Amino acid sequence: THLRAWDSWGLLACLCTVLWHLPAVPALNRTGDPGPGPSIQKTYDLTRYLEHQLRSLAGTYLNYLGPPFNEPDFNPPRLGAETLPRATVNLDVWRSLNDKLRLTQNYEAYSHLLCYLRGLNRQAATAELRRSLAHFCTSLQGLLGSIAGVMAALGYPLPQPLPGTEPTGAPGPAHSDFLRKMDDFWLLKELQTWLWRSAKDFNRLKKKMQPPAAAVTLHLEAHGF
Amino acid sequence: MAAPVPWACCAVLAATAVVYAQRHSPQEVPHVQYERLGSDVTLPCGTANWDAAVTWRVNGTDLAPDLLNGSQLVLHGLELGHSGLYACFHRDSWHLRHQVLLHVGLPPREPVLSCRSNTYPKGFYCSWHLPTPTYIPNTFNVTVLHGSKIMVCEKDPALKNRCHIRYMHLFSTIKYKVSISVSNALGHNATAITFDEFTIVKPDPPENVVARPVPSNPRRLEVTWQTPSTWPDPESFPLKFFLRYRPLILDQWQHVELSDGTTHTITDAYAGKEYIIQVAAKDNEIGTWSDWSVAAHATPWTEEPRHLTTEAQAP
Repeated sequence: THLRAWDSWGLLACLCTVLWHLPAVPALNRTGDPGPGPSIQKTYDLTRYLEHQLRSLAGTYLNYLGPPFNEPDFNPPRLGAETLPRATVNLDVWRSLNDKLRLTQNYEAYSHLLCYLRGLNRQAATAELRRSLAHFCTSLQGLLGSIAGVMAALGYPLPQPLPGTEPTGAPGPAHSDFLRKMDDFWLLKELQTWLWRSAKDFNRLKKKMQPPAAAVTLHLEAHGF
Repeated sequence: MAAPVPWACCAVLAATAVVYAQRHSPQEVPHVQYERLGSDVTLPCGTANWDAAVTWRVNGTDLAPDLLNGSQLVLHGLELGHSGLYACFHRDSWHLRHQVLLHVGLPPREPVLSCRSNTYPKGFYCSWHLPTPTYIPNTFNVTVLHGSKIMVCEKDPALKNRCHIRYMHLFSTIKYKVSISVSNALGHNATAITFDEFTIVKPDPPENVVARPVPSNPRRLEVTWQTPSTWPDPESFPLKFFLRYRPLILDQWQHVELSDGTTHTITDAYAGKEYIIQVAAKDNEIGTWSDWSVAAHATPWTEEPRHLTTEAQAP
């Protein structure tokens, strides 16, 4: 993904590149390998846990932002000024994603979202918020590690940052207070949507990885049962 | 032999007939008029003078002259029963002067609109109705907006108060806004609802719920069902299920939530009691529970009483 460097997000992009270079989760031990199935299930379970955690975190954070952000009917137009990874995808395209691409998109999305969340944490005014955000970031880091584990088990390389994504040029004019809050609003919304999407992504992966029941029966028959 | 009538004479006769008809016949089609329930209305007898001598009839029945104000018919406090075909006649010649088809009704109140996705991720449908009847014809107009993009809502082939929208994109952070306006001859009204893609997901109830006794097990019942046929992709969008059961003689339900599979064995049934069982479905992660399925009934297996007479056999 391509990060625009003209605003303060650029500074965070710097931090993002640091994340990319974190040591990857080592591949699973190949001998007696149960396959990627259990780790896909674990990743799926993590998305559910995170989605649950996010619900209370988002509620608290939006109340902190105050109206109109915490109003249930709040329905602002998406100006697209933020550089968030978007979960939305054409239905047919989503269906036909190959496993590698599906996993890569999830990994890249959460890497960026984690970076932005850490930025949010730095600006958060109350200790309670900082604590909740920090806890969530840790869980999200866990999800990233889990996805990395699945990719490694399947032999897919972890995405590397593209050259030229480091910030170039000076950061642009600072956002107004309202626009900064809008960015926060969209970050939380995109995070929630990604977690719903990931659950569906991992469901799909789970079904594909499951050995069909017929194969097990044939195996038994071969042994004269 | 009669002399042929000169064509000029025919032309004059024809013209006279037309003029006569125009001056004395009413319109072919009665004038249609809509009036509000409870209101008062005065029906003039077409172009007749106020003091013309006329008789009014409704649906062929004479109306009392005390309802008249000159040649005009006055109706107070309109009721639904006042709807009908009103005709006024020249009193002496019984010549039909004017007809009014009166419809008594109400302007529409705010419509009730709801949307639901029972075919996620294919699309969703919206349906609407008026909380109270208007008694006169209404037209509805539905618009669907996704952000600033207008989406097509295709009319349902069978139900006239429903239309369908296909999802082009999934996992959208932008809300959908569905607006409906309703109008009739007496007024108009409108409403709108806004929602996220995920909140309206509600599958149809599970199908073909069957409960069977388990042989030699007096406290068991085996329940099977199928995912609703309208749910397009249970592989990628698996459903979880909620089962409830109780003996007919009790009011309290037992509940079981099942994350997988379409069978369940109840193991704590009361022996010999007839049970009622229902199942509901929900997408694993998003939306709400379906309505309860059609109920299945079953009674657990009971042992056949042994016949003592079989012991005594004729040698």
